[in-house]
Amino acid sequence: MKRLVPLVLCFIFGIVMIITQFSPHPYSKRVYEEVVSGALIISPFALVLATITLIQTHATRIRRRADHWPYSYIVFAGLITMVIIGVPLGPKDPVFEWLYNNVQVPMDATMFSLLAFFIASAAYRAFRARTTEATLLLVTALIVMLGNVPVGDLIWNTIMSWTPWADQASAAREWVLDNPNLSARRGIILGVSLGVISQSVRIILGIERSYLGGGD
Amino acid sequence: MEVFGIWVAAFLTLCIYSFLYRDNPLYRFAEHLFVGISVGYGIVLSIHEGFIPLAWNPIWASLTGESLAGLWKLIPIAFGLLFFARLSPRHTWLIRYPIAILIGFGAGIAIPNMLRANIFEQTRGTVAPFGAIYAGTLTPWEIFGAILMVVGVVCTLTYFYFSVEHRGPVKWLSKIGICFLMIGFGSAFGNTVMGRVTLLIQRVDFLLIDWLGSIGALF
Amino acid sequence: MLTKLVSMDRRIVFILVALAVIVPMLLHVSLPVSTSEPTQKLYDFVEALPAGSTIMLAFDYGPSSFPELSPMAKALLKQCFDKDIGVIAITLVVDGTTLASTLLEEVAEEKDAVNGEDFVFLGFRPGATQVILGMGTEIKSVFETDYYGKKLDEIPMMKNITNYDQIDILVDLASSNTTEAWIIYANVQYNLKIAAGVTGVMVSQMFPYLQTGQLKGLMSGILGAAEYEDLVGVPGKGKQYINVNSFVHLLIVLLVVIGNIAYFIQREREE
Repeated sequence: MKRLVPLVLCFIFGIVMIITQFSPHPYSKRVYEEVVSGALIISPFALVLATITLIQTHATRIRRRADHWPYSYIVFAGLITMVIIGVPLGPKDPVFEWLYNNVQVPMDATMFSLLAFFIASAAYRAFRARTTEATLLLVTALIVMLGNVPVGDLIWNTIMSWTPWADQASAAREWVLDNPNLSARRGIILGVSLGVISQSVRIILGIERSYLGGGD
Repeated sequence: MEVFGIWVAAFLTLCIYSFLYRDNPLYRFAEHLFVGISVGYGIVLSIHEGFIPLAWNPIWASLTGESLAGLWKLIPIAFGLLFFARLSPRHTWLIRYPIAILIGFGAGIAIPNMLRANIFEQTRGTVAPFGAIYAGTLTPWEIFGAILMVVGVVCTLTYFYFSVEHRGPVKWLSKIGICFLMIGFGSAFGNTVMGRVTLLIQRVDFLLIDWLGSIGALF
Repeated sequence: MLTKLVSMDRRIVFILVALAVIVPMLLHVSLPVSTSEPTQKLYDFVEALPAGSTIMLAFDYGPSSFPELSPMAKALLKQCFDKDIGVIAITLVVDGTTLASTLLEEVAEEKDAVNGEDFVFLGFRPGATQVILGMGTEIKSVFETDYYGKKLDEIPMMKNITNYDQIDILVDLASSNTTEAWIIYANVQYNLKIAAGVTGVMVSQMFPYLQTGQLKGLMSGILGAAEYEDLVGVPGKGKQYINVNSFVHLLIVLLVVIGNIAYFIQREREE
């Protein structure tokens, strides 16, 4: 009941999705549509899992007086404020939109913009041409960075003015992205996809069961 | 209200930037508020844009006799409700049912589509230029690019192939594969710099133009 | 001196980065931008569509990447509204919903576009794969109403649109792997043509799909946004930000070069 039923469900839904995609029969199409629609209905409930985990984590922090535990109250304050306003009034409510636009958006954007400072600092302190591989990485990064911005064209043209490759900063960037980068990325795509496909087969056949978690 | 919003956003922006000096209570306040607000927003949207239109409305329509098709949807809804079993330690195992359905669905749908999109199409893309070489429509530089692409793909795949020991020719192919990967990562780094710097520019634009501009407007 | 240079406090680097943003922003520097082939391809594709065509625009990004992707969305929307191309907008990313609706309303107001006639915003549904597959069968099976609660049957623009068969191209503005999901499910399963505008972080991984034609065009980060603004003739934040970007990039290149010179001199001395 605890392990067999989920394994059977997983097998049935996996096989049904594979077969119905290849069969043009109207019944098969109907089954395909119903399964897609059913999976669509289950999706929003998955949020329950994430929310409960977050609430439990912060409740435990408060209970155990863990490091910086008072801040967990701020998590709850933010969450409850959004839910109290948003659930009854809807996401188009002006107050809800105001909170999103003036609290969530600036904090989210700023949080990620911090990385610009750390990238610059890391590039200065750790980006060294120590080996052939590191040199390739560094040179490529510099070519792409210069090709990405208009000032790169100016610099490239000044340095390369005596060569046939003047006016080619953006072209050099595009060539790198379109040739050696493309090969590496394609290798990764092929490798990852083969991995996903084989893992999917193992999941459907019940060989891979880690998604069931521990316990009996 | 608009100016007040700008000031709130500016205060929170500066709270987060204070981390550049060192970790401090203002940063921690903003960080935790951000988590709470984001999850709250996600809950509201999932209810109004997910649960209500996909689950509640069809059931309501069938209860009011508008459309009996909604009753059929009680089955996936029942499976979805099993996610709440996470609240009871004794019944947590029940969440395996909806998870198994979603995982089985995802695996089943991925196999044929990923094969076509990422294996067949990408392999076709790798060998397709050789048709053009045969037809004589490529320049010498483009021919060089086509050969380089095949070499790069084969060597990168060799690097990820662990079923044979990397010795002799395999070792060399894998070493060339590493070089291609380094070029790939270098270009990813270059593009990431552009992305992250743009986020910073937008925040500075906001602080300089919108926030400082609002101070000017006050006087 | 050399040791001091190598072990410079990171906060000095932070100040230099901040100055490299603030100074050019105040000076309003403007440099010409050349158009890359992937951006040109997308522009040409949309430009070649006759009036009355329909594109689907997926706002698959949240606040953490809107500075890169919103300028693309604005330029593309302006091109569509000018050419009388209908736009069906959706999002697969939960925290992009309000962002998308605000942006659409803003551009629509500027271009006098009418909701329901020139564009429709369907909103968000959880479960990206299921949403993509579901709309392939029937858009109404996933979105019975638009974001504002109006039934799709009552929206004039949606009268002749059932599924992807009536959509000329989908442009995915993405900050995560949604573009791959659109390619794997909508393109393979339903032959929907796909193009994308992606964040800088994702640009490199899109090139294999461009070469195979699985992507009809690509806007690469803020550079792609600036290029598209130039092509459409509506300079905006994309153009402004790529110019400021120039100086920060220059600073980072200089920092890398100085760091390496110092490193090699130090290593020479130690040997």
